[in-house]
Amino acid sequence: MLAKRVFFNKYSIGTKITMALGICIVYGVFLYTQGANPFLIYYEMFQATFGNVYGIGEVAIKATPFILTALAVAIPARVGLISVGGEGQLACGALSSTFAAVYIFKDMPSFIGIPMLLLAGALGGALWAVVPGILKIVARVNETITTLLLNYVAFFLVGYFIYGILKSPDAYGWPFSPRFSDSLRLPTLEGTRIHIGILIAVAVAIIVWYVTMYTHLGFRMRVVGGNVKAAKHSGIIVERMQFVTLIVGGAVGGLAGIIEVSGIEGHLRPMTGVGYGYIGFLVAWMAGNHPLLIIPFAILLAAISVGGNALEMHSGLNSSIVLILMGFILIVILAIGKRGGK
Amino acid sequence: MRKRTLFGIIITFLVIAIAYFNNSSSISAGEVKSNMGVGGDAIGFLFVGPRDDYGYNQAAYNGSEAVKEAFPFMKLLRVENVPETAEAERVMEEMIRSGAKVIFPTSYGHLDPALEVAKRHRDVVFLHQGGLKTAENLGTYFSNIFEVIYLSGVAAGKMTKTNKLGFIASFPIPQVLLNINAYTLGVRSVNPDANVIAVFNGSWCDPGKQASAANTLIDQGCDVLTQHQDCTKTIIETAERRGVMSSGYHCDALEIAPEGWITGAYWNWDDLYVNMCDVILNGEFKGSPYDGRFRTGIHEGVAKLARFGKNVPDDVKKLVKEKQKEILDYKFYPFTGPVRDQSGTVRIEPGVVPTVTELETTDYLVEGSIGNIPK
Repeated sequence: MLAKRVFFNKYSIGTKITMALGICIVYGVFLYTQGANPFLIYYEMFQATFGNVYGIGEVAIKATPFILTALAVAIPARVGLISVGGEGQLACGALSSTFAAVYIFKDMPSFIGIPMLLLAGALGGALWAVVPGILKIVARVNETITTLLLNYVAFFLVGYFIYGILKSPDAYGWPFSPRFSDSLRLPTLEGTRIHIGILIAVAVAIIVWYVTMYTHLGFRMRVVGGNVKAAKHSGIIVERMQFVTLIVGGAVGGLAGIIEVSGIEGHLRPMTGVGYGYIGFLVAWMAGNHPLLIIPFAILLAAISVGGNALEMHSGLNSSIVLILMGFILIVILAIGKRGGK
Repeated sequence: MRKRTLFGIIITFLVIAIAYFNNSSSISAGEVKSNMGVGGDAIGFLFVGPRDDYGYNQAAYNGSEAVKEAFPFMKLLRVENVPETAEAERVMEEMIRSGAKVIFPTSYGHLDPALEVAKRHRDVVFLHQGGLKTAENLGTYFSNIFEVIYLSGVAAGKMTKTNKLGFIASFPIPQVLLNINAYTLGVRSVNPDANVIAVFNGSWCDPGKQASAANTLIDQGCDVLTQHQDCTKTIIETAERRGVMSSGYHCDALEIAPEGWITGAYWNWDDLYVNMCDVILNGEFKGSPYDGRFRTGIHEGVAKLARFGKNVPDDVKKLVKEKQKEILDYKFYPFTGPVRDQSGTVRIEPGVVPTVTELETTDYLVEGSIGNIPK
């Protein structure tokens, strides 16, 4: 069943490989015209991403928030809602868990503190999704608009607290929160930055997949997503379903926030995770909102952004060289999606 | 049944993983090598913005060009637009993987990520631009540009007609506050009636915010604008277009404001960067002045006064040059007490000459500046 979905596409595998090679060749020619050696650069990009354990770890770290913010989009999408709120939910999850880490669980041992922080993060993201949820079912306001606009509010909300009561006293005026105590940092693999967040993200993806595919609840969600009228006639309370999925999506988005802060940053900064929500939306779209397909697409985008640094470093070209590559790949995927879509 | 089995498997998997990761989470202290920084075939530079921002990053990039010329056998790894988050850690790890044993994280917010990476790579030397914290293999360097900014303030204080000068600042960190204070002291030294209005826009380079702040300040009657931002072009151009004057920072930008340019303070990192690389590559980092907090400035030519604009009268030029000579001859120091803060409280006692270390913990604005430090 799954295998069918993964490989179901209008294009044969040969065509896809040709397309990927085509991107490499065209971009390589472009690099060459700019005075760089494309073979060397591709080699370095591969080295930086999948060439060794370190590179794979970096890709995994980067993919973690993308998977979660993509799920934050994919879950509401099951009932036909288009949420763009991963960005704001991530920020609020990071904010609420930072509050919890700084004021409540500061001295807790890891085995209680970390699960509690994860809960706090999920709660923060969920609360942020309550607003569009209520507006949706009470006032019938379009959830795409509300979730998108609330992203900006969330960004400034984080700034408000970081410049205010959450500002670290020993930061010399620099806007960031106090450091999380060591017991509240996600465990990492020795000598690397790889933390257990990727396992959590993959586990959440599997759970979401299982629930939507194999449970009664998942079946009802798909009915609502397929045809609202039919769902109503068969006795499903559509509004409740929409509300709950928005909240659950928000909670998953919030998880991305706490994992980023506790796993990577160690303290909250105004720019923590900025942009990840939108990349997550892109991932969800590329994966057709399929919870398991989200994982490889998140890894793909993570690899591009990790490899991008190597590209810039070894080509010696302007930083916009990375953006050109990203834009190029996205346009090609967009073209495929357009023609291969349902 | 199946549901429970699946969840059981997932949870067991997670528990095992957490236990495994936990066991190995303590980072073993790496061996401290005596010849740290030696043996690499590359030098890394991180910039927070683009290389052509008419500002901080352009100045640092120019410095890296000098390094490139001085060490043709070393590969230069340069990455622009590195955010001041853990993203910077990844860039530095990648540089080390590519053979760099000397790394220059050039933005203030790159310090914490650099300290993290420094813990993991004891054989790599990090030279952070402007940091207050150091480590075994991480030194910081900076140039006391505030002495030049004081001179820039003297010129601006003479030039202003409305006695209102606008200062567009980024974050209320000590170095920024220090520059606002130096500018204000310079202005006030020649024009006790003038005030400097400081606004904090919470970013290093956001042209939209810069333009709106510049326009607001001009609308409030400011006729000289200056800034502590990373990219300076927008503010200088806005001032020029609105017919008001500007004092520059980071780079000499006379050519983009031929009418309104007064003068400014800029960095000249070339010789310092080259010398630091030289010392480290010779295996002499430990015990050198760069191992710790290294501060330099106007005397060494690392901070310089820019050219004067065409509308600056000769008597103003002469006055500024005289002050500059006094500073160069150690006859005058801008922060000699008494220095009062906005509330009138004396922060530096009369006759006291504060050390640079003391100044770098500045958390107040001096008398004559209007504006609140974001709390």
